[in-house]
Amino acid sequence: MTNLDLGRAAFHSAVARDPSAAVGPRRWPPRLAAVAERLRGGVTAAAAVPLAFPTLLLGLWILSARLGWLPAQILPDPALVAATVAEFVETGDLWFHTGVSLLRVIEGFALGAALGLGLGVAMGLSDRARWIIEPSFTAIAQVPPLGWIPLLMLLVGIDEALKVLIIAKAALIPVALNTHKGIRNVPAAWREVGAALTFGPWLTLTRIVLPASVPTVFTGIRNGLTNAWLALVAVELLASSEGLGYLMVWGRQLFQLDLVILAMIVVGLVGFALDWSLGRVERRLQRWELAGS
Amino acid sequence: MTQGTLDLQGVGKRYSVSGASFTALQGIDLSIPAGEFLSIVGASGCGKSTLLRLIVGLERQHDGAILLDGRALDGPGLDRAIVFQEHRLFPWLTAAENVALGLLTSKRSAADKRRLVRDHLDLVGLSAFADAYPSQLSGGMAQRVAIARALVNRPRILLLDEPFGALDALTRTHLQGELQRIVRAEGITAILVTHDVEEALFLGDRVVVMHPRPGRIASIIPAARLPLGADGAHDRADPTFVRLREEVLAQLAPADAAPRAASLAA
Repeated sequence: MTNLDLGRAAFHSAVARDPSAAVGPRRWPPRLAAVAERLRGGVTAAAAVPLAFPTLLLGLWILSARLGWLPAQILPDPALVAATVAEFVETGDLWFHTGVSLLRVIEGFALGAALGLGLGVAMGLSDRARWIIEPSFTAIAQVPPLGWIPLLMLLVGIDEALKVLIIAKAALIPVALNTHKGIRNVPAAWREVGAALTFGPWLTLTRIVLPASVPTVFTGIRNGLTNAWLALVAVELLASSEGLGYLMVWGRQLFQLDLVILAMIVVGLVGFALDWSLGRVERRLQRWELAGS
Repeated sequence: MTQGTLDLQGVGKRYSVSGASFTALQGIDLSIPAGEFLSIVGASGCGKSTLLRLIVGLERQHDGAILLDGRALDGPGLDRAIVFQEHRLFPWLTAAENVALGLLTSKRSAADKRRLVRDHLDLVGLSAFADAYPSQLSGGMAQRVAIARALVNRPRILLLDEPFGALDALTRTHLQGELQRIVRAEGITAILVTHDVEEALFLGDRVVVMHPRPGRIASIIPAARLPLGADGAHDRADPTFVRLREEVLAQLAPADAAPRAASLAA
């Protein structure tokens, strides 16, 4: 998605709202300027710009369903999907499947992030730990979460432990890598300030190294959470009888694409909400960075 | 007050750079009485910053002896504080919190610490900015916070490693006057390292001129040769001051620079 596309989409939605804008091609340039002005000036219009892409997508979807560009079995009518959503909300199935998936992500992510933080701190602080851990760590990181599923299935079965472990592994890697990097990159000049103030290892760690590496660590945590969602869907697709990933498989097998789309929308929304909440926490922890701007 | 006398006896420092030994400092003998403001001036690479790092204890291996009030130093201590060229404030702490960081390992009471932080922000004229983050301060203000952080423990020795090198000329001149006032108010021993000859002469009671490769003392300008103005500060415009500045600059010129300049003129 380029900026150009976004701008075009915003323009189209603006035109849709203001029919007089589309009187004739010759009258567009001044109109364009007016639309751009409105987009730049009005707060509500500015807030609508990020929504332009989803709106365009929805528009295309409705259009293609109405005009029969694709068979209904492949791309169901948005109305059908809406009806399915309503039905799932009513029966409580939506909350059940979302809850199951969310719990798996939270458990797996908590386990992976905690281990990742521990490993990252160890590798960042101690050359010896790094020497011992890093080679195995790098090797393990190269094998994608899906690659671990067959082996882990034999070891721990196909129950919750498998899912939580796969998700944990997916979250662990970016958290550990970024924590390691964040700690390594703390400027020596800052450590010297601590040394001159007679800080021991504990004060240096808690007052200088950890606060200084917060931004990088947080990048890792957010990447870890995104990875956890990706791994969740992958593992639920392969081995599950409930959850959002299972809904996708089930919907595909029954050729009920409305179910697949429903699950996709929920995964997207929940992922967005989690990332947004983490972003809020991050900004709170780094309010000093915003203070200057 | 006899506390704050620093004695350097035959101090030297060697580094090993990829197998080869490199002498950064050699045979430094200096006695700095309590309450003196000593300037050290020299071209880059003369080891003047290394000397400060040895005194503050950031580097421990060296030849000779460094004695503070007759006692050999072993590593960093709250009796010495350093201000670096960059302010090195922590961006996630406010000005007051940065100053308070200097008291973290002090055994004073909490009320004492609060008072010290307030007093020192006051001393550097930044009481109104106690809750500001470093990103909200100008370079000069940030450096004043760094000075407050260094002084908050009431050290015996204040070490200044080109503290105004990163500031614009106007701020620098202003802060030099401020620093002089602050150091006098605290009554402590100060050692300033700089490559700015005028700054060294303006602030120093005595000025040590150093030469590089290996870093050593070339000459020491005694207090008697530096003209004092009516306000007790060195007068930059005094002809003696100007002559002295030219003399030191000539001493600092690389040994091979003079003939090269002559051949260029020919």
